[in-house]
Amino acid sequence: MDNSIWISILGFLATVVLAFTVGVFYGGFVRKITARIQNRVGPPVYQNFFDIIKLYSKKTAVHHGWMQHLGPAFAITASVTSLMFIPVLNGQGWIWFENLNFKGDLIFLIYMMVFGSLGMALGAGQTGNPHSAIGVSRGLSQMVGYEIPWVLALVAIMMQAHTTSITGLLDYQNANNTWMMFESPLAFVAALMAMLGMFHYAPFDVPFAPAELASGPGSEFGGKYLALMMTSGSIFAFVKLVLIVDIFMGGASNLIMLVVKTFLLYMIPVLYGIVSPRYRTEQSIRYFWGWPTFIGILGVLYVVFIR
Amino acid sequence: MNSLFLIILILMGGAVLAYIAKKVNPMLSSIVSFISIASAAAVFFLMTDRESVILHIGGFELQWGLNAYSWVFGAMVISMATFASLYSIAYMKGKDRLGYFNLNFTLSVAAMMGILFSMDWISFFIFWEIMTWSSFLIIVYNGISEGKIGIKYMIFSAIGGYSMLMAMVITKSQIDSFLIADLISSFSSMSLGLQALIGVLFLIAFSVKSAVMPLHVWAPRAYADSPMSYTSIFSGLLSKMGVFGLGIMLISVFSKTTNGNIFVYSEVLAWLGAITGVIATFYAIIQTDAKRLLAYSSVAQLGYIVVGLAIGTKLSVMAAIFMAIMHAIFKGTLFMAVGAVEKQTGTTDMTKLGALIRKMPWTFVASLMSIIALAGIPPLGGFVGKWMLYESMITSDHYFLIIMTFLSSTAAFLYSYRFLFGIFLGQEEKEFENVKEAPAIMVIPMIILAGSLFFFGVFPGYIFEPIANGMEYLGMGQVDWNMTVLSNGWGNHVDTLSIVNSILTIFGIAFIFLGLKNRKKTRYVTTKDIHTGGEIPTENENLTYAVDFYKPFERAIEPAMKRKMDFYYNKFGEGIETLFDFVRRLYTGNGQTYALYVVIFLVILLIFSEQIFF
Amino acid sequence: MPNDKKSQKIVDIIQNAARKHSLFVLAYGTGCGAIEIPPTMTSKYDAERFGIRGMATPRQADVLLVTGYLATKTLKRVIRAYEQMQDPKYVIGFGSCTINGGMYWDSYNTIKLLDKYIPVDVYINGCMPRPEAVIDGFIELQGLIKDGKANGAEKYKENIDWYRANQKKVIKNWNMPDYNW
Repeated sequence: MDNSIWISILGFLATVVLAFTVGVFYGGFVRKITARIQNRVGPPVYQNFFDIIKLYSKKTAVHHGWMQHLGPAFAITASVTSLMFIPVLNGQGWIWFENLNFKGDLIFLIYMMVFGSLGMALGAGQTGNPHSAIGVSRGLSQMVGYEIPWVLALVAIMMQAHTTSITGLLDYQNANNTWMMFESPLAFVAALMAMLGMFHYAPFDVPFAPAELASGPGSEFGGKYLALMMTSGSIFAFVKLVLIVDIFMGGASNLIMLVVKTFLLYMIPVLYGIVSPRYRTEQSIRYFWGWPTFIGILGVLYVVFIR
Repeated sequence: MNSLFLIILILMGGAVLAYIAKKVNPMLSSIVSFISIASAAAVFFLMTDRESVILHIGGFELQWGLNAYSWVFGAMVISMATFASLYSIAYMKGKDRLGYFNLNFTLSVAAMMGILFSMDWISFFIFWEIMTWSSFLIIVYNGISEGKIGIKYMIFSAIGGYSMLMAMVITKSQIDSFLIADLISSFSSMSLGLQALIGVLFLIAFSVKSAVMPLHVWAPRAYADSPMSYTSIFSGLLSKMGVFGLGIMLISVFSKTTNGNIFVYSEVLAWLGAITGVIATFYAIIQTDAKRLLAYSSVAQLGYIVVGLAIGTKLSVMAAIFMAIMHAIFKGTLFMAVGAVEKQTGTTDMTKLGALIRKMPWTFVASLMSIIALAGIPPLGGFVGKWMLYESMITSDHYFLIIMTFLSSTAAFLYSYRFLFGIFLGQEEKEFENVKEAPAIMVIPMIILAGSLFFFGVFPGYIFEPIANGMEYLGMGQVDWNMTVLSNGWGNHVDTLSIVNSILTIFGIAFIFLGLKNRKKTRYVTTKDIHTGGEIPTENENLTYAVDFYKPFERAIEPAMKRKMDFYYNKFGEGIETLFDFVRRLYTGNGQTYALYVVIFLVILLIFSEQIFF
Repeated sequence: MPNDKKSQKIVDIIQNAARKHSLFVLAYGTGCGAIEIPPTMTSKYDAERFGIRGMATPRQADVLLVTGYLATKTLKRVIRAYEQMQDPKYVIGFGSCTINGGMYWDSYNTIKLLDKYIPVDVYINGCMPRPEAVIDGFIELQGLIKDGKANGAEKYKENIDWYRANQKKVIKNWNMPDYNW
């Protein structure tokens, strides 16, 4: 019993370190790729590590109240808890990475991913900056937009695989020797379009854009708070990527395939975002309730009628 | 004496005593009301005999009893009522006509317990009507009459009450008994048309109380205009009486229909519930008054519960009743919090309030936990109910219902945040500088209820057990439950203990890290020291973002919000007035026209004499 | 000597390396010298490869670029923004106007020497300095950080009275809050 507790703690730490490293490197990669597309050199790929370490080593900190302390704590709680419940490596993976995978399912994850943004919204609200409040209202309104095609896609594949847990979906894909994105392609397309909104890259970055809102909800966070937010943001990007890879692309059986698959998936919102302008909030909500929802409904009907 | 009789007697006697006690001292009236409800609660939880009691009144035989299903609702009603009446002692301090208020308050609680104890339709109807008019009397307590909310409430409750009366009388004429159990057992032997008629009439009666579209128009203003200590039981408990009746109807009665297991009106009810959820949430988002926002949100949550009941699988019914209990707890707490804010600051307009978090921290903590439960976020209790509801919708192929429920549940985050931000967070306002925390009697019930939300989120099994017994009583067969593991029919489960452990661990680590790093060099600044482009805000500069908080969202949903339900009712009323106006013209006051009418009537009789008289 | 290179602890070395390689500049153009910032940050002269990027609010930024002349009106806002930043923070004086008044040396409402009002770490000469000069100034700041000598913020804290006296001499309608850390 003692041994397994040590193994589970070690597995937890290993997963968090893996998520943090990969997430921060992806952030650096994105900056590099953005720079190359804009015909300049760009920072080195390990640049985000320097940013985070510098923010952690700030000597003073300013806060507006105890709720602002809780804001980044909520955000990182949501990220790391979501990480615990997603199988990082497919079945034959290390025993070290099986954290709490069998204890939760997709619907729980959908709610857990919202927990972080609510916490940050509360922390931003305490500061009293009107920019934060405007940013939060825009961010939450957009969330209503992209959740609909996302849930439609998830419902379609949950009904097709007749299970609601991620490990169940991985088993279904292993058993049928196929990837879910070929089994229900309409659901995959709807999920991709919703994913554009989830990552908050352009054209859906109106809550955070510096030219719009002076950083939106994060206006008054600095020093250790901003460091925790950036850490949580990197881990969360990794979590979202691994989730989509697991349920649509069959998971990954070793770290190299995981990195390759998630990177290829990540390039879709990033590359689309580099060349896009920004939607206004009501335009983005109407966009999500238009074609992506329609394709999602078609995906659900497809599953119903081929069964 | 039989315990059920004792409980009703205590409550009714307490009502009358409270009215009389006002002459002595107004505060005594509230205290008497609290003591009577608390002692009724004590009797309820300690009673050991559950046999039924039969009364003979005026030729009718009334039968009262307590079964497993009504025990669940009874426990919820009497405990929430105890907390609400404790809160009401301090909330109603200093207001007038306290005897009148406490009489109706205690009478409502007595009527609710009476409804739960009824085993036959006559006593059910009697207590239902007592509940209706006692709540009507409290709605008009504040004397607000614009929109004539009292009359609207009475009309709709009358529609519901008379539908129930009609259905009862039809039942009696068919099976010659008023007992509920007899209706359940003989429902399948009635003709199809009769089944539909009785079913729809009862559904109308209970849907009015549960505020299902289109019968919900009384709910928002009624919840918002009553005194807050009553609204915490009005929206929390009285609406659950409709849910109680719907449960009996949909599960016991309709499952015995003759054409398979599906009563088609259940599907209609499920869709109506989902639409209620969506539209009421949209209306809640655009409100500026905290009371109206919570009222619309109550209507939306009741929509979810109705959907869960109407779908009818074991998991969905368990989810619906669990959500009903959770809703009573967190809505009660939220209305209590709004009442505390109203008492301390004098207003609940979210465009005027702000930054009460430092002045009323306990109220904030209670409403934060309740809002987290309302939004359905783990690890609190609301998540358990929502999870079970979604799982039941997926496993039973109601895939479009799940989209509408999810849409309204995601949009619920918007008004949840607005509630917290508009009242407790944001910029500090000068006029609320001297606001103090609410008195302890008001804060203690809120904190206890908020703590119970957390407790039931981790150990939902404590509620699952009575609900499972109740569902078995209703005839759904054996229902499995587990103390901390939620599972759906496909074998997937969620372990609440591990969720809570991981959340608390990581939250604790992050919180300690944030608190301890650079502890000496962390300083607190007021909300005036923010990034405003280097400017120093002066005293009268307004930095609050409160008006039109969700304008982009409003613009996006504009096509769906063009008309309120009131518009259609008004059009219907105007149409009937035009019809009556036309009929009025028939009375010309001229004797020759009346003679002409008689002649026309005789001519028609002559022409159609074969069809009429043979 | 606490900041001597040989006696620096390993933690300080790592921290200074991180601070050196990631400088968040407050996006605040105070004077006409700000016209040279966009070419420096964007594709042609690409300051981002050194880790320099713009941030929107003083709470998130490290470096305050005082670009060009400072009217006394702007000086009040600059001081407010400087005091809202969190330690360690650096100030770079841009252009000749911050050194000796530059082109406006005989004007009645610009300041002549920036160091009297805010502690400056690096001056960049020129009117206006070309992007290559700007990047050279940043590299000098990076060198100072690496050696542990860029401590304008501590100087401000220790000599706050002197700075305040100078500021109050030029700023007539003083309604700033008191310094409390």
